[in-house]
Amino acid sequence: MGNEDNQTRADFFLYKLFAKHTSLVSSQSFHPRIPHPLSTTSRMHRVIFHVDMDAFFASVEQRDFPQYRGKPVIVGSAPDKRGVICAASYEARRFGIHSAMPSRTAGKLCPHGIFVRPRMEAYREESRAIMAIFEAYTPLIQQVSVDEAYLDLSSCVQKASGPDEALRSALPLARDIKERIQTERRLTASIGVGANKFLAKIGSDFQKPNGLTLIPESEKIMFLRPLSVRTIHGVGPVTAQQLEAAGLRTIGDIQNSKLPLETLVGSWAERLRQRAFGEDDRSLDLERERKSISAEHTFAVDTEERQVLRAALKEMSADIAQTLARNAAGALTVQVKVRYRDFSTVTRQVRVQDPVTAAAEIYRLSCHLLARDKLVSGALRLLGIGVSTLVEPWVAQMRLAFAGEKTEG
Amino acid sequence: MRFSVSKDILLSGLQTVQNVVSSRTTLPILANVRIQAEEGKLRFTTTDLDVGVTCITDAVVERHGGTTLPVKRLAGIIRELPQGEVHIEVDSKNIASLKCGQIFFKIHGLPADEFPPFPEFEDCKVFTLKQSEVKDALRKTSYAISTDETRYVLNGILFSFKDSRLTMVATDGRRLGLVDLEVEFPQSDETDVIVPTKCINELTRLTNDAGEMKMYISQNQVAFDVGTTRLVSKLVEGNYPNYRQVIPTEVRERVTLERELFLSAVHRVSLLSSEKSNSVKLVFTKNNLEIASNTPDVGEAKESIPVVYKGVDMTIAFNPEYLMAPLRALPNDEVYLDLIDEMSPGVVKIQSPFLYVIMPMRVS
Repeated sequence: MGNEDNQTRADFFLYKLFAKHTSLVSSQSFHPRIPHPLSTTSRMHRVIFHVDMDAFFASVEQRDFPQYRGKPVIVGSAPDKRGVICAASYEARRFGIHSAMPSRTAGKLCPHGIFVRPRMEAYREESRAIMAIFEAYTPLIQQVSVDEAYLDLSSCVQKASGPDEALRSALPLARDIKERIQTERRLTASIGVGANKFLAKIGSDFQKPNGLTLIPESEKIMFLRPLSVRTIHGVGPVTAQQLEAAGLRTIGDIQNSKLPLETLVGSWAERLRQRAFGEDDRSLDLERERKSISAEHTFAVDTEERQVLRAALKEMSADIAQTLARNAAGALTVQVKVRYRDFSTVTRQVRVQDPVTAAAEIYRLSCHLLARDKLVSGALRLLGIGVSTLVEPWVAQMRLAFAGEKTEG
Repeated sequence: MRFSVSKDILLSGLQTVQNVVSSRTTLPILANVRIQAEEGKLRFTTTDLDVGVTCITDAVVERHGGTTLPVKRLAGIIRELPQGEVHIEVDSKNIASLKCGQIFFKIHGLPADEFPPFPEFEDCKVFTLKQSEVKDALRKTSYAISTDETRYVLNGILFSFKDSRLTMVATDGRRLGLVDLEVEFPQSDETDVIVPTKCINELTRLTNDAGEMKMYISQNQVAFDVGTTRLVSKLVEGNYPNYRQVIPTEVRERVTLERELFLSAVHRVSLLSSEKSNSVKLVFTKNNLEIASNTPDVGEAKESIPVVYKGVDMTIAFNPEYLMAPLRALPNDEVYLDLIDEMSPGVVKIQSPFLYVIMPMRVS
């Protein structure tokens, strides 16, 4: 219905455009970022933990309902309803089920799966309890979502003689946190320990579930070498394709590459090179409540080519939908941001009645805004999408089941 | 240009056309009404480039010609004049001198040739409709039109001419109103068009309880002739969703309700439906319907009305506004509410070809 037509209109609008060559850079920007008085300085040895709960929503369900244990639990809309999956237990993941997948698809992949409706309040309550555990170790906590946080433990290990020793001396704290989560909350977490947020996140993801991975400073370059470029947060499918087309498949390839990365990924090249060498000087964002989520693409070459813009919008929509899902939130405001060749920047937004959660809906509304206000009036340097007015994704009012309606979360 | 016309006729002509003029116009001339004086007739025309209206009134025309004058201001002046003849003369600089007894106004206008041309309707499909039927159908459906600007195909009413019937449909994705009218037309004229909300509002104002009207449909425009007034509009581009697929084919329970009684009960109970959930529950038990609502920490409301109900006990929740809208629009003493279960759409029906599909609300 409206979906498709809007898309067609936006497509038509973008279709008139042409350009030679482009590449996309994606970067998710989170704000606001408030420096904390206790933030670590460069003189100290930094020790950052990334704590990631294992299949959080599904694990809470399995804990609270013993009959679900050892079974494929799928949290989200029922398989006969429109909507998406919020989380899947490890048993369900074996069937290829992952978050943000349409429930109908999940139903087909895993027909005997136990589909449960999310109990957001329970998860939020659980999240608060887990964050309270972290607070016993450090006041420097960046809660990324209900089930994920960065902890800065640098001040606990300053007697250490070198960066690796600082990291190793923090290991007992990581074990302690895992154990407390297990005994007090009867849930498991994976922790990554590194000298910055990037390494800590790579670490928590390295051995899941119930993992603990330390990436020493002296070994980080070797550690990263075999990993896919896609492991770098901010490298989405489009950027990854650009890199892979240039022969850069692994982080090691980027380390070795003499290619001018700028031509591939634009202004993001320097950060990409830093990440490839395990460097990241971002400080923790200590603001608790997420107020908005946004994503931006800076094009290596200014472009008004319809396909490139569509691809960028789709990728950003997917990123944002995923972040929304991780935060168990929906958005009532969707905004697009456009920067032209002369750096003039325009934003436009629309307010919707039902909270937006699905990537397709974010994409549809972004296209609507671009078309409504004829924003692609020339080559774009940057294109961005932001969502705000975050609320519970629950919509009580059911919608008529028109074919092609994809809006229900 | 020079003419004389009675105050009442002039005012009614201006009031017929002034509504489509938007208060914020991109082109100054769009705030004006074009006035054309011909033999014994005045033609008034306004447009916002999407919707346009033109109408004809009788007048004593002493000198032919045309001009455009700010319509809101002009109508405001005419409204304040005493009963009697109004004499208007417009000079070559488009300055209008208006006289009524001892009253004199001078109003600056803009040249008529700068006014956008009014669309022609040649080579189009023509349908003859009954004004009363169209007025009635608009009343029974238009409240369900979507106001969501991002779903612009729903920002209007579908006019579907098929099988000697005109089906008019409005939906906002949560409820859907539909009326069928019998209309004669050749099969080759079968067509589906979406008439935008603004045009629907004008059409509702223009139609009367008697007489015929004509509807003209071209590639991307529509026109309605009602008496001497013509309303034209762009059509909404795009395809209307397939409304047939959301109309339930199954009826498990049919409840007959006294419309006014039910309407006032829902209205009373809705006074305590919370802003957040904004729902009322219909609790069906043997031969009883209880309507209930509550707002945490504020209070609750309940009202029972006797009904003939022999089905399984059922509780279904609706947005009270969505439930009341058709009840307000229908003239019938009795309405039927067809239900399947608490998660399936309900349907409001009457004896004539009308239906209203309403999606329930989930109860958390």
